[in-house]
Amino acid sequence: MGIVPKETIEVTAQSIGITNLSPEAALMLAPDVEYRVREIMQEAIKCMRHSKRTTLTASDVDGALNLRNLEPSYGFASGGPFRFRKAIGHQDLFYTDDREVDFKDVIEAPLPKAPLNTEVVCHWLAIEGVQPAIPENAPLEVIRAPAENKIYEQKDVPLIDVRLPVKHVLSRELQLYFQKIAELTMSKSSPALFKKALVSLASDSGLHPLVPYFTNFIADEVSRGLNDFLLLFNLMHVVRSLLQNPHIHIEPYLHQLMPSIVTCLVSRKLGNRFADNHWELRDFTANLVGLICKRFGNAYITLQSRLTKTLVNALLDPKKALTQHYGAIQGLSALGHNVVRVLILSNLEPYLTLLEPELDAEKQKNQMKSYEAWRVYGALLRAAGLCIHDRLKIFPNLPSPSPSFLHKGKGKIISAEPRKRKLSADSSENQSPHKRLMITTDGLRPEDHTGPAPMHVDKPMGNYNPPQNSVQPSSSEQASDGNESESRNGKEKERGKGRSITMKAILGQIWKDDLDSGRLLVKLHQLYGDRILPFSPSTEMSVFL
Amino acid sequence: MDPEQVDEFVMGYLKKKGFNSAAKQLQEALHHNNGGTFNSTDYHNDPELTKLIRSFSQSENDPTRYRDGYSKLRSWAYNSLDLYKHELLRVMYPVFIHCYMDLVGKGHTQEARSFFNSFRRDHEMIHLRDLQKLEGVLVPSHLEEMEFARSLRQSKVNIKICQYSYDLLLQYLHRTESTLMLGIINEHINFQVYSGQPNSSSDDIDAVTIVGSFQETADHVNQKEIQWGLLEDSLEDRLEKTGSLLSDSEKGQGESKDGDIDDSKKRSNEIGKQGSSLKKLKKDKAGNATAKVARQETSIVSPAPRVKPELALPVMSTDVEESILEDLRNRVQLSSVAMPSVSFYTFVNTHNGLNCASISHDGSLVAGGFSDSSIKVWDMAKIGQAGSGALQGESDTNDQNVGPNGRRNYTLLLGHSGPVYSATFSPPGDFVLSSSADTTIRLWSTQLNANLVCYKGHNYPVWDVQFSPFGHYFASCSHDRTARIWSMDRVQPLRIMAGHLSDVDCVQWHPNCNYIATGSSDKTVRLWDVQTGECVRIFIGHRSMVLSLAMSPDGRYMASGDEDGTIMMWDLSTARCITPLMGHNSCVWSLSYSGEGSLLASGSADCTVKLWDVTSSTKLTKAEEKNGNSNRLRSLRTFPTKSTPVHALRFSRRNLLFAAGALAKPAS
Repeated sequence: MGIVPKETIEVTAQSIGITNLSPEAALMLAPDVEYRVREIMQEAIKCMRHSKRTTLTASDVDGALNLRNLEPSYGFASGGPFRFRKAIGHQDLFYTDDREVDFKDVIEAPLPKAPLNTEVVCHWLAIEGVQPAIPENAPLEVIRAPAENKIYEQKDVPLIDVRLPVKHVLSRELQLYFQKIAELTMSKSSPALFKKALVSLASDSGLHPLVPYFTNFIADEVSRGLNDFLLLFNLMHVVRSLLQNPHIHIEPYLHQLMPSIVTCLVSRKLGNRFADNHWELRDFTANLVGLICKRFGNAYITLQSRLTKTLVNALLDPKKALTQHYGAIQGLSALGHNVVRVLILSNLEPYLTLLEPELDAEKQKNQMKSYEAWRVYGALLRAAGLCIHDRLKIFPNLPSPSPSFLHKGKGKIISAEPRKRKLSADSSENQSPHKRLMITTDGLRPEDHTGPAPMHVDKPMGNYNPPQNSVQPSSSEQASDGNESESRNGKEKERGKGRSITMKAILGQIWKDDLDSGRLLVKLHQLYGDRILPFSPSTEMSVFL
Repeated sequence: MDPEQVDEFVMGYLKKKGFNSAAKQLQEALHHNNGGTFNSTDYHNDPELTKLIRSFSQSENDPTRYRDGYSKLRSWAYNSLDLYKHELLRVMYPVFIHCYMDLVGKGHTQEARSFFNSFRRDHEMIHLRDLQKLEGVLVPSHLEEMEFARSLRQSKVNIKICQYSYDLLLQYLHRTESTLMLGIINEHINFQVYSGQPNSSSDDIDAVTIVGSFQETADHVNQKEIQWGLLEDSLEDRLEKTGSLLSDSEKGQGESKDGDIDDSKKRSNEIGKQGSSLKKLKKDKAGNATAKVARQETSIVSPAPRVKPELALPVMSTDVEESILEDLRNRVQLSSVAMPSVSFYTFVNTHNGLNCASISHDGSLVAGGFSDSSIKVWDMAKIGQAGSGALQGESDTNDQNVGPNGRRNYTLLLGHSGPVYSATFSPPGDFVLSSSADTTIRLWSTQLNANLVCYKGHNYPVWDVQFSPFGHYFASCSHDRTARIWSMDRVQPLRIMAGHLSDVDCVQWHPNCNYIATGSSDKTVRLWDVQTGECVRIFIGHRSMVLSLAMSPDGRYMASGDEDGTIMMWDLSTARCITPLMGHNSCVWSLSYSGEGSLLASGSADCTVKLWDVTSSTKLTKAEEKNGNSNRLRSLRTFPTKSTPVHALRFSRRNLLFAAGALAKPAS
C-alpha cells in the first residue's frame, strides 16, 4: 500500500469527469501518481534550497512544476498552513477546506497595511573573534554555555578575555532542590516533610544561588495566593528559614522580600475560610518583621523607618479594617518598645476612643466585628503592657552593677539590706497586706514617701483589685525612692571615688526616664484599668523584697 | 530422489526460461524412453546436481526469498566480530537497494514496500537522500525511467574489504546456500580485497562508492595534470617581491600619499557607519609590519608554483591596482589566535523573499536577489553616512534613491521574470551579475543602476553565477546540468561544461582563472579546465547536494559544503578529501577563505558562522600521511546569529569578514 491510495485516484477521476475508471486502472495509477509526486517534490526541494530556505512552500512546488513544463498549481498562495479535512466515510481521503468568500466583503475590507520595506542593518557579529554583547547578537552564553566551555577547553590558545554578560547557571541539583521546596510549599499535603525542608533551608550551606529564585517565588506566590491561608503561612515559614540560615547572605534581597512580608502582616484579608487563623499568621509575621529589623536594622537604616511608616499609616487610618490594625499593632510591637512607646502609646488615647464603640457588645451587633475589636484591644494592651514591662525592667538592672562596682561601699549596702528585710518583716507583722506591700517597697526611705503616696492610695480605692493595684503605683514610687537611695549610695561613693560622677549622671538620666515611665504607667492605668497590671514586672520587685 | 520428479523440475525450468524447443525435445525424449531404459543416471543420481536443479526450479518469483535472505545476512553481519563488523556491514546497503529494486522490477510492489520499510532504518543515517529517492520507485517502468535507479542498476559498487572479511562473507554465503544473496553480491559489488588487518576507521569515505563505473572514469580523469599554482605576476606576487621596497617607501611616506587618500576613501566606504572599526583598521595598520614578515615566511614554507594565464585577462587600471595593493598591504594576518572581525548585514522585512545575497569585495555594496524577481543593491557606505547624521540632506544624488512613499535607500534593479537565484559583484564593484529562474543572466551597472546585457543560453533556471577573480569573465551553472563560461562582451557562452549527472548547483573560479569548480546535486564536485572545457577532476565524497564552494587563495585547496552541513576540504592535485569538517547541522550556504588562506569561514542555515583553522589541517595531513590516522579539522569559533541563516560570506582584501543573511522570524 503506497502513500496514495486507490480511493484518491478514484475521487480525483470523478472530480475531472471520468466516471468509468476501472478499479484495476486506479490500482495501477496509484503507484505511478506517487512516483510523480515524489519526483516533483524532490525538484521542489531543489528550488527551496536555491531560495536558501529550509521550509518548503507552495511557490517551490510551482517552481518544480515549471521546471517540468507543467502548469503550476493555482490557489495555493503561500499563506497560512492548509487545512485538510477528512472525507466522511473514508479513512485516508482528505480535501482542503475552501471557504466561500463574499466578493463584497473582499471589496469593502479595509486595505491591509503596506508591508514594511526591506532594509539592511549592519552590526558586528564579532570583533577580533569575540562576540560583543549587543542586542543584535544572540545571547549565546545562556543558550549554549556547555558547548562554549568545551570549545575553550579544546583550545590550546591562550584565552582572550571574553566579556561575558552576567550569567547565572544553576546546577541541576539546585534546580531540583528549588523545585522540591517549591512543591512542598505549595502542596501543603505533607507537613512533616515540609518541616524537614524548613530545617534544611535553615541550615544547609550552598543554597545561596537559590535566594533570588526563592525571593521571586515568595513574592509571586504571596501576590497570587492571598486567599490561601496555609500557603501564606508556609511561605512565611520559608522566609524565616531563609533568614535563619547562617550561610545565606540575604540582605540584597530584603527589599524584594519585605513587601510580601508586610502584605502577610497588614493585608485586609488573609485566607478565605472562616476557620483560617489569620491572627496566628499575623503574629508569626510580626515576629519575622521584628527579627529582620533587629538583624538588618543597622545595615539598612531606612528599613525600619519605612516599615514603621507603613505600619503606622495602616494603624492610624480609621478606614482600614480592624484586622489590618491588628497586624500593624503586632508589627510595631515586634519592632521594640521604643517604637511602641513613641508610636502607639502616643496615639493610644484617640485610638481607644475610636475602638470603644466596637468593643461595646450592645452597640456592635456584628459578633465578628466585636471579636475583631477585642483582638485589637488585646493587641494594644499587650503592646502597651510589654512596653511598660520593659521600662520597669530597666530599673532593677541598675543596682546590680553597683555592688560589684563599689567595693568600698559594699558594707553599706549589705548593711542596708538586712535593714530592709527587717523592716519588711516588721511591717508584715502589724500591717494589712496592702499596706505592708507598700511599706515593703518604700521600706528604704519611709520618710521620703510624701507627695505621691496619697494619690497612690486613692487610686487603689477606685479599683476592683486594690491589693495588686497598689503594687503598681508603688513600684513607680519605689523607683524614685530607690533611685534616691542609690544616689545616696552614689554620693557616698563619690567621696571615695571620683569617677562615679559620670555614673551619677547616667543614673540621673535613667531615673528621669523612669519617672516618665511611671507617669506612663499611670496614664496606661487610666486607660486600661486593671488590665495592664499583669504586665507589671513582678520579678523585679523580688529584688527589693 | 524420484527421477520423474527431477524430470519435472527440468521441464519446469526449461519452460520458465523460455527454452521451449528444448523442453519439447526433452518431453519427446521422455515419452520416447518411457520405459526408463534411457540412461538418465548422469544427472538423476548425482545428489549435488539435483540439489542445484531443485534450487533453480524453486519458484523463483517468490518475493519472500529476498526478505529471508537479506534478514539472515543482516543478522549474521550484525553478529559478526566487531573487528570485521563494519566491513561486513558495508555490504548490506548495496544488497539492500538491489533487493528492493529486484522486487520492484519483478512487480512485487507490496512486498518491495514492506521490505523497504522494515530495513530502511539501518541505512537512513548515511544514505537518507538516496533512500528518499528510491522510495518512490514502485513500478518496473520507474526503474527504467529514473536516472538514479538506472545508474545503480548498471554500475557496480566498489567496496574495500580485507581478505579475512571477504573470506568470512563467502564462507557464509556458501554454507547457507543463499544463492540469491550471492547472486546479488556477485552482480553488483566489486570487492577490492586487500591483505592485512581490517581498516579501523569505520567512516572511511571512499570505502564504499556507489557508482563504480563512474569511479573508474573519475580515477581516469583525476590522473590528468592540473596547474593549481597562482598566476605569474599576480598582485600578491608583486607585493611580495616589492615588499621591502614598499615598506621603505611607506616609512618615507613618499609615493603612497595619494594611495593613502584613496585608501582612506575606501576605508570609509568599507566600514560605513561603524566608527569603531576605524580604530581597528588603524590597529591593523600597526600590525601590518609583523604581518608582512609572517606572510613572507609562509610563502617560503610553501612556494606556490606560478602558472601562465590561459585566458586573455583584462587589463587592470592603475588606480584599481593601486588600491588593491594598498588593501593587500594593510591586510590583517589571521590565524587561529588572531580572529577576524565579522560585520553582519541583516536583511529585515524580506517576507521570506530573499533568495540570495552578495557582498562586494570591499564590503561596501550588498545585493539581494528576491523571489519577486527583483534585485536590490544597498550602498552600505551611504547608509552609514545617513545613519551618522543627516549631514548630506542637501545632496541631490540621493534623490533617485528616495521612493514615492518616503525613503528608500536601496537601488531597485528590475528586469528578471523569475526568482533571482544568484548575484555577484565584479571585483571593483562596478557591475552586478544576476541569474534567475527565467533562464537568463543579466548584467547590471551599479553606476548607472541599469541593466546592460541579458545573456541567454541556459535552458533551465540558472542556479549560480560567479565573476572571475579578475572580472570580465564569468561562469554560470544551471538546472540543465551544464556550467558555462561567458565573457561580458558576448551574449553567447564561450564554453559549455557538460558532464554532471544532475543539476549543477554552484560554481567557483580557481584563483588563477584557468579552472572552475562546480558542485552538483549528483553529490560530486568537478573541476573543469576553462580553456579546453574538459573535466579535469572529480571529487567524490559528499552525501548530499553540494551547495557552496570556495578556493583557497594559494589555489591548492578547495572547500565544499553540502546540504547536510558537512564541509569537505579537498586537495586539488590529488582529488582527495583532506578531512570532512563536521559541525553545522543544516545546509552550508556559503564558504570563504581568508585572504592568506589560514582560516575558512562557513555560513549555514543553522544561523551560525563558523571559523575553521585550515592551516593546522593541512599541516596535520602531512603528519597524517606518516601516522595513517585521520584527524578532524578544528572548529575555532562559532558565532551564532539571533535568528538569521547566513546566506553569504566574504573576506575583504583586508581580511574583514562580511556576512549577510535575512532575519527569519523564529517559528512560533
